[in-house]
Amino acid sequence: MSVKIEVGAGGIPHNQILIYGLVGSLVLIYLTYLNTITGTQYFSFFGGLAAVVALLWGTDTIKHLCSYGLGTGVPSAGMIALGSGVVAAVFGATTGIFTPIVTIIIAAIIGAVAGVLANNVVRMDIPVMIVSLIELAIVGAMTVLGLAAMACGTFEFLGMITGTAVILGFAVPSYEFSVIGGSIIAVIFMLGAIAIQHSFNACLGPGEKQDRTLMLAAECGFLSMIPVAIISFAFIGLLPALVALLVSIIGWIYTYVQYIALSKRDAYAWLDAKPILEPKGGA
Amino acid sequence: MEEIVFGIGITALAGALATVAGAAENTESDIGSQGDPNSQVQLAPQMGYIHRIFNKAVAGEPPAYGLWVALGAGLAWAFMAMQINPILAIVLGSALAVFVQGIYATTAYLGRTASLAKFGQPVYIDILKSMTTVTMAHAFVAIFTTVAMCHLMISALGHPFPLPLLGLVWGIALGAAGSATGNPFYGKERQYQSQKFGAGVPISASGNIVRYAEAGQRNSLDNGFFSAKLGGPASGICFGLIVFFELWRTVVFEELNIWGPIIVGVIVILIFAIIDRYIEVWARKAFGPYTAPEEASS
Repeated sequence: MSVKIEVGAGGIPHNQILIYGLVGSLVLIYLTYLNTITGTQYFSFFGGLAAVVALLWGTDTIKHLCSYGLGTGVPSAGMIALGSGVVAAVFGATTGIFTPIVTIIIAAIIGAVAGVLANNVVRMDIPVMIVSLIELAIVGAMTVLGLAAMACGTFEFLGMITGTAVILGFAVPSYEFSVIGGSIIAVIFMLGAIAIQHSFNACLGPGEKQDRTLMLAAECGFLSMIPVAIISFAFIGLLPALVALLVSIIGWIYTYVQYIALSKRDAYAWLDAKPILEPKGGA
Repeated sequence: MEEIVFGIGITALAGALATVAGAAENTESDIGSQGDPNSQVQLAPQMGYIHRIFNKAVAGEPPAYGLWVALGAGLAWAFMAMQINPILAIVLGSALAVFVQGIYATTAYLGRTASLAKFGQPVYIDILKSMTTVTMAHAFVAIFTTVAMCHLMISALGHPFPLPLLGLVWGIALGAAGSATGNPFYGKERQYQSQKFGAGVPISASGNIVRYAEAGQRNSLDNGFFSAKLGGPASGICFGLIVFFELWRTVVFEELNIWGPIIVGVIVILIFAIIDRYIEVWARKAFGPYTAPEEASS
C-alpha cells in the first residue's frame, strides 16, 4: 500500500488532543479502581473508555507521524505502539495503585529508545519520530491496560494472572484461566494494534478530515470493547459484564452512525447501484 | 507407535483444515482488494480511472488475520472457560470475530472512498451491501477452520500454548501465506489483464486496472470468482503444506531426538527452495517473453 499520503489541515490542534488523551485516559483508568474500593466489578467498563480516549489521541499522533510519507508504515506504527505498550503495561501492573502512572513512565522510556534507534541507527531522520513514538508507546500501554482492566476488573498484576476454574463443581483459583495466563492479553494486543492504525489508514488521502478520522477512531475503540466485554463474562460477574457490553454496544452504534453520516458528507457522491461515472474529458 | 499414528492422523486433519482456511482467506482478501493489489485500486481514481471495486484496506493481510483469528480464538477460549461445548464455542467465537471483520471492512471502504472525493470517485453503497457479506462468509470459513485447527493442536497433540496465542501465531501465518501466494493471481494478473503476460506494471500503466467486465462493469465479486479458481487453491495448498510439515516433523521425529524436528525442518526448506527455483526457471523458459523490459502497451 505505497500511497502518497496527504492529510487535511485544520481541526483541533494536536497538542490539545494530546493533553485530553493523556489526562482523560489516566482518569478513566483510575475510575476502574473504584472496583477495589467499593468491592464490586461494575466500574470495569471505564477501562474500555480509557482505551477509546487513548486511541483517539493515538490516531492523531499516527496522522502526524505518517504525514512524513510513511505509506506502508501506518499499520507498522500501530504494531510498534502496542508492542512497546504491552511491555510497559505488564511491567507497570506490578506496582499496585501506582500502575497507570508507572506504566506511562515506562512506556515513555521504551518509546524514546525506539525513537532514537529509528532516527539515529536506522536513519529515518523524521523530525517528529521520537516524540511520536513516545506518544504512541503511551497510547499503546494505556490501551492494553484499559482493555485488560475491563476484561478482569482490575489493573493490578495479581488480578490479571489469577482466574477461577471450575473443577468438579468447585471454583478454584487458577493461573491458566486468567487474562495473562490464557493469553487474552494477545487478543487485546491485536485489537489495539489494528484499532490504533485503522482510522488513519482507512481515511488517508487528499480528502482526509480530522473529525471523520477521529470519529472512526472512537468507533474502532468501542468496537474493540465489544469482544473484550464478551470475554469479560469469563472473569467478572454476569451483571458487571452485561453493563460493560451495553456501554460498548451503545457507544459503537452511536459512533458508527455518526461516521457513516460524516462519510456521506465528505464523499463525492453517494450512489446505490449506479454505473461508473467517467470523469469529464475521459480518463 | 499408536501415538505416532494418532498424531499423523491429527496432522492430516489439521493440514486439511488449513487448506480450506488458505483458500477462503485468499478469496476473501481478493474480493476486498486487501494486501498489495490494494495500492492499484487506491491509485486508480487518482489517475482518472473511476471504478466499482471494493477497497477494503484494514491493514496488511498478516496483521488483519492475526486479529481475526486471535479474536475468534480468544472468544472461543472465553466461551470454553464458561463451560460451553468446544464446537459451539469455536462457532460463536468465529461468528463474533467475523462481525468485527465486517465492520472494519465497511469503515475502510467508506473512509478511503470519501477521502478520494477530489478525484470524483463516488461511494457505491451497493458494493458495501453485496460484497461485505461475501467477504464475511469467506472470513468465517477461514477463521473457523484455523481456530478449529489450533484447538486440535492443543487438545489432541498437547501443544502447550493457550488457544488465543496459538490463534495469533497461526492467524499471522495464514495471512502471510494468502498474501504471498494468492495475491499475484489477482494483483498482477486480474487487475492487469490488458497488459502482456510477464510485462510487469510500467509506471505509465499505474492505476489503469481493468474496470469493465466481459459484460457490464467489473466488481470485486468477479475478482473473487477469478481468484477462487487459481489463487485460492494455491494459497490453500501453501498454508496446508506449512501446517502439515510443521506438525508432521514434530510428531514423527520428536521421539528420536529433540533436535530431530529442527534438522528435518531445515531439510524441508532446502528441498522446497530447490523445487521453487526449478519451477521458476522452467516457467520463464516455457511461457514468457521475460527477456527484455517491455514498453508500456497502453
